[in-house]
Amino acid sequence: MYGFIWRHLPGNTLVKAAISVLLILGIVYLLFTYVFPWAEPLLPFGDVTVDGGDGAASG
Amino acid sequence: MQDDETAQPVGPGREAAPPAGRGRSRALAALGVFGELLITLGLVLGLFVAYSLWWTNVQADRAASQAADRLRGSWAAGPTAGPSAAPGTTPAPGAPSAPERFAAGDDVGFLHVPAMGRDYQVLIRMGTSTEVLDEGVAGVYEQPYRAAMPWDQAGNFSLAAHRDGHGAKFHDLDAVHKGDAVVVETKDKWYVYKVDNTLAETSKYDTGIVAPVPARSGYAGPGRYITLTTCTPVYTSRYRMAVWGSLVRVDDVDAKRTPPPELRRS
Repeated sequence: MYGFIWRHLPGNTLVKAAISVLLILGIVYLLFTYVFPWAEPLLPFGDVTVDGGDGAASG
Repeated sequence: MQDDETAQPVGPGREAAPPAGRGRSRALAALGVFGELLITLGLVLGLFVAYSLWWTNVQADRAASQAADRLRGSWAAGPTAGPSAAPGTTPAPGAPSAPERFAAGDDVGFLHVPAMGRDYQVLIRMGTSTEVLDEGVAGVYEQPYRAAMPWDQAGNFSLAAHRDGHGAKFHDLDAVHKGDAVVVETKDKWYVYKVDNTLAETSKYDTGIVAPVPARSGYAGPGRYITLTTCTPVYTSRYRMAVWGSLVRVDDVDAKRTPPPELRRS
């Protein structure tokens, strides 16, 4: 998978490495901005209130 | 002899190499992709931990400190009532600003708990929704029991905040013990509470701990109480913990906002 991506990146090794870094940064940005904030409330790590379990006041 | 024995099983395999080898290399490639997916999953989960325990703190602290500056700015701006008052409205002259109504999302004041750090200060905001608590504030319960405000004659000023992530404002709540001071700062009053009891662990369904007279707190009748709740143990939301205090004193805020002795001592 990673080998396939690496082979299909344009340019020489240096350019490929630079594009790879940009791709990784972009993916991390998307994860931190969209994916994780979406996923976090679905996971039971941040509930601090007592609410009888109806979820209305959990967080 | 031994060499012959070990070489023999390889022989037939090599003869059948062309058809079987192609399938095998395809299987290996699939295995390789599977392995890379697992590595990717591991990296993403690691990033999620970094997001939860670090990045949400960065974001929440930034949001909370901006909101705190706004609140202190509005206090310094003059005698107009707090953030719930629309700009331009003039409050009745001489009316105390304390009994004003706060709506969900309004900033009330600051919570000071010296046991959680020398300069520990958390913004207090109405509501315990995810949106409120994720901004790095201590939220005032509106359900299942509507919290009484510190200036109310009786009731329980119950607060919740995150143990980890999103500011982690109550991360060290287990460091608060009986006898410690808890101070609520509003525009013109310091409400000084003393911790009377703590509860190390209870169910998340135990809503009685934020009742007007909190269950299991040892309080027998109505009074002016404060309750701090968060989740426990750290990094999980399995149980809840609580710290209860009762009002000791109300000090007026002077022109220089000199803190009460409980906050100066440490």
